[in-house]
Amino acid sequence: MFDMFNVYMPIAEMQFNALILVAIGFSVGVLGGFFGVGGAWVVTPALNIFGFPMAYAIGTDLAHIFGKSIVATAKHRKMGNVDMKLGLLSIVGSVIGVEIGAQNVMWLTRIGLAGPIVRYTYMFLLFGLGIYMMYDYLTKDKRAAAQAAKQAAARTGAPTPPRKAWNLPPMIHFPASGITISFWTVTGVFLFTGWLSGFLGVGGGFIRMPALIYLIGCPTAIAVGTDLFSVLFSGAYGCFTYGIKGRVEIIAAILMLIGAAIGAQIGVTAVKYVRGYGIRLLFAIMILLAGLSVALKQFNLTTTAAWVVMCAALGMCAVIMVKLWRGFVKEKAEKAGHL
Amino acid sequence: MKRLVVIIFNFCLLTMPALVWAAAEKAEALEKKLNLANLTGVNYFFAKWYNENMWLYAIIVTVLMGVMGMLIALVTDIFLKMIGMEVSKIEHHE
Repeated sequence: MFDMFNVYMPIAEMQFNALILVAIGFSVGVLGGFFGVGGAWVVTPALNIFGFPMAYAIGTDLAHIFGKSIVATAKHRKMGNVDMKLGLLSIVGSVIGVEIGAQNVMWLTRIGLAGPIVRYTYMFLLFGLGIYMMYDYLTKDKRAAAQAAKQAAARTGAPTPPRKAWNLPPMIHFPASGITISFWTVTGVFLFTGWLSGFLGVGGGFIRMPALIYLIGCPTAIAVGTDLFSVLFSGAYGCFTYGIKGRVEIIAAILMLIGAAIGAQIGVTAVKYVRGYGIRLLFAIMILLAGLSVALKQFNLTTTAAWVVMCAALGMCAVIMVKLWRGFVKEKAEKAGHL
Repeated sequence: MKRLVVIIFNFCLLTMPALVWAAAEKAEALEKKLNLANLTGVNYFFAKWYNENMWLYAIIVTVLMGVMGMLIALVTDIFLKMIGMEVSKIEHHE
């Protein structure tokens, strides 16, 4: 029945179902627009499950990520969620970090330890980050109460301990994010996240987004938009460099982009209706499931791992779309009430 | 004195990445030629450039993705506006 949607891929020299490509693009577009990530960790296993040649998977994925991130970044910018200055700094820091990370992997490969070390670091990072973000979400009310008590104490004249901060000059002000921070803190964070993405061989969006929130101090929505801005540049570079190597299946990339661009619009619009902590909670669940998938791969359950990450992506997509719809209906009702 | 310490510290931090910098191994190019015999239209166009000049193929792919991204953004934006889902600057609340 679905054979009628089969399309010939001239570069990979094979038939592939266009509906599958549009559907994968759509779900990754929703996730990308909402979380500010590229989504290669979902696309590659998903393409693999449906029999797309691995030789073209990464290049094709990067090509569609580039187009999709233009859509999502433009919309985030409209909503005031992109800190250009911070985004540009993140690109510089990340490029250097990625090269260092890649070099470390080369060294580990030479001594025969790259596979297990990279996989365990990946798992540790995904589970660690997911658990920390969950903890952060669950204790937010407690922390808010403590903060309120501290402010009340300050008003009554009780001394408050000074806040420790790394203030080595030069200090940089980021008006869009509303933060002033040492140049070295920002550079260090982006070098570190870049190093991790080079070391793990991933795009780095899922590392950079929480780093922008927890290490730099960005509001969640700005972290999402700014991260997408960085993804745009890495996507463009990836698309071009993989294109030169003949690893981009252009027809598949176009079909995925059609789905992804529509999905990204939905994902970005949903950010408007979900509070910052809500985004963090959903992100934590998503990366915990991604961690589970990597753990399954470690035990040679590759197909199960791919299904886990794909089902998680589809489930999360559904949650985001429900949140968007609910927010939209509520907003409409409120507007009608005001009239 | 404090200023001098800051300058020296800044210099050390700036030179640190250079100590561990090295070029990484890149993905290798696929050495293959496509069979153009049964191809027509767009498929023929892409496959021809793929065979003849990989650099130009990469440029076509990158530009096409960028232009398509912008076009789709424009069209979906108009559609979302029509159904009342337009966006503007939002307040950032955690």
